[in-house]
Amino acid sequence: MFSKENKLEKFKDAETIIGASIKVKGNFQGHGNIIVEGALEGSLKTEANLFIGDKAKVVANIESKDAIINGEVKGNIKIHGYLALGGTAKIYGDIQYTELSVEKGALVNGQFLILTESDKRKDNKKIEDKIDEVEK
Amino acid sequence: MHVYIYDEFLNKPKYNRAINRLEIRLTDLGLNGKIIRLGGIKNIKGTIQNEIKLGAKTIIAVGNNQTINKIIGAVIDTEIYSDFQKKTLLGLIPIGNDNSIATSFGINNIDEACNILLARRVEKIDLGLVGNYYFLNQASIQSLGTILHIDDYSLEVMEKGEIKIINLLSDQRETVKSNPHDGRLDILIRTKKRDESFISVKKIKVSNPLEKLVIDDVIEIETPVEIGIMRDKVNVIVGKGRLFD
Repeated sequence: MFSKENKLEKFKDAETIIGASIKVKGNFQGHGNIIVEGALEGSLKTEANLFIGDKAKVVANIESKDAIINGEVKGNIKIHGYLALGGTAKIYGDIQYTELSVEKGALVNGQFLILTESDKRKDNKKIEDKIDEVEK
Repeated sequence: MHVYIYDEFLNKPKYNRAINRLEIRLTDLGLNGKIIRLGGIKNIKGTIQNEIKLGAKTIIAVGNNQTINKIIGAVIDTEIYSDFQKKTLLGLIPIGNDNSIATSFGINNIDEACNILLARRVEKIDLGLVGNYYFLNQASIQSLGTILHIDDYSLEVMEKGEIKIINLLSDQRETVKSNPHDGRLDILIRTKKRDESFISVKKIKVSNPLEKLVIDDVIEIETPVEIGIMRDKVNVIVGKGRLFD
């Protein structure tokens, strides 16, 4: 589940790769798969999948579809689909998810919350409202 | 009507043979046209736009990347003769060094260039814009100390290396894909630690107080500067072996 091959299979078409030498500050939003190996401060959001490498340091609230997290995250995490926490993951914040797997060694200092159907409907409503706003 | 724009450096005797070969080949193929030599012309843009007004359908840059940079503004600028210029095609005949743009279009030598002109396969290509300068291939800058401002975030590179802001790939061995039809610029950052980053954007602001931005390996520009892209802005005659779909 956490193998390199698995990561490459899922993220071979990554739209964005933040390498280990990169420091990002601000609100980072994407539509495609995102790989983060460097540092990020602010917020991180994508409609697709997210991979956070074991050397990555993220100080941000995170939202994505599926996610694999192996690095350090200080902030709240909201994953609409499947979340995998690797053995090197360090999470300081609350985690919302639909499906979850946690590997031995992962550290979590926060609450685990399951995203319910009503949460998802609320999220969808927000998205629809935003689209309406843009169209107006 | 074809108009061939010969760059100034082609006046050197060492290019005589290449020019002779080119002119014989063009005559054989029935592609001969008017020749304008850039040596001594101060108002390049005005001269080329006048040719377009007089009915030139294809402007052909004979030379290298620098030649294309000198004439691209005249070919695509729509301020004066917009109706004429919308239909104007850009052709390339590479001579000498620094011909990465021609390579991108699958044009590797004089003979190939002549055959490609004859075949007249046309592609609409996006054009990068930095201040008042245009670029077809890429803009690049040293990575250490460079800050990129994109949308709502900034990005700083902490290691030595190079940042390439790509519209059109010029190297066949390059592993990243870049599409000159998508209205986006692809940012590729490679550091000396073999660390690679990749982001696709519509516009970007680049700043580095110590380093200059280099566009198409030709023009150096001080930063901070904004880089954008104009979609399907230029009609180029390309070869089968072009480095994009």
